[in-house]
Amino acid sequence: MDTYSKKYNIERNDINNAGTVASLTKRALKKRGLSREFVKQVTIGVYEAEINVVIHSYGGTVIVNISDDQVDITFTDVGPGIPCIEKALTKGYSTASSYAIENGFGAGMGLPNIKAVSDEMNLESSEKGTILYMKFDITEKCYAS
Amino acid sequence: MQVKDILQSKHLTLLNQQGNLNNTVKGIFACDLLSHVMGFAYEDNIFITVLNNINVLGVASLIDLGCVVFSHNIEVNKEIITKANELKMPLLSTKLTTAEITIELSKMGV
Ligand SMILES: Nc1ncnc2c1ncn2[C@@H]1O[C@H](COP(=O)(O)OP(=O)(O)O)[C@@H](O)[C@H]1O
Ligand SMILES: [Mg+2]
Repeated sequence: MDTYSKKYNIERNDINNAGTVASLTKRALKKRGLSREFVKQVTIGVYEAEINVVIHSYGGTVIVNISDDQVDITFTDVGPGIPCIEKALTKGYSTASSYAIENGFGAGMGLPNIKAVSDEMNLESSEKGTILYMKFDITEKCYAS
Repeated sequence: MQVKDILQSKHLTLLNQQGNLNNTVKGIFACDLLSHVMGFAYEDNIFITVLNNINVLGVASLIDLGCVVFSHNIEVNKEIITKANELKMPLLSTKLTTAEITIELSKMGV
């Protein structure tokens, strides 16, 4: 199948449109005949990362690549960065604003969820911004029967 | 079971016109924190919440939940109803508390 590659901008605090990239990616994966379970894992990962850029960063971009054997997604934002990555990866740890919490976010489960659903995850951060990479392997059992 | 079957309950009312009432419903997930819903709910679950927020719809449709039930008789804003129609997601409302409607649905055999 053709390689799919898309780039999107993600705006800071744009909570009403958060989930757009997850939704478009979900549609693209379904079209390729991937199973509901596999599609759900990727959707969860993209959604959580997308929300993080919206509620915690100054804005950024995401690149979604889908090939025959993997889905890889890279979120890049322009700051303020994560001071302690180890803490950020802890279940329940959150610095979410009251604005984010009122909107149902801030459970501190986003990064742990991404780690749980992906086959590989890499998080790098400085005051200049954060780069989150996640990869999902596509094997035969990832296709709908 | 389908959404139209649980609508037989006198405790539930339908809030939107374009939800798919033939959606399968299986199991219940009650929560007001979206990352917990994202991480732990299963497809076709009935999602019970008091979170009066458009992101509820985003999550429900992204992970293929069966329908959304707003408990505690909360006043659901128009924006949510419009979005639910767009996504064909059935929106239900109840005067019962989250715990009470969970028990009620469970008695119905969801
Ligand atoms: N893109 C980001 N930029 C800055 N900080 C981030 C970013 N993503 C995550 N964080 C930090 O990591 C914490 C944990 O993230 P997460 O597990 O998704 O929980 P939550 O988003 O519910 O707070 C956040 O509260 C925030 O402090
Ligand atoms: Mg998060």
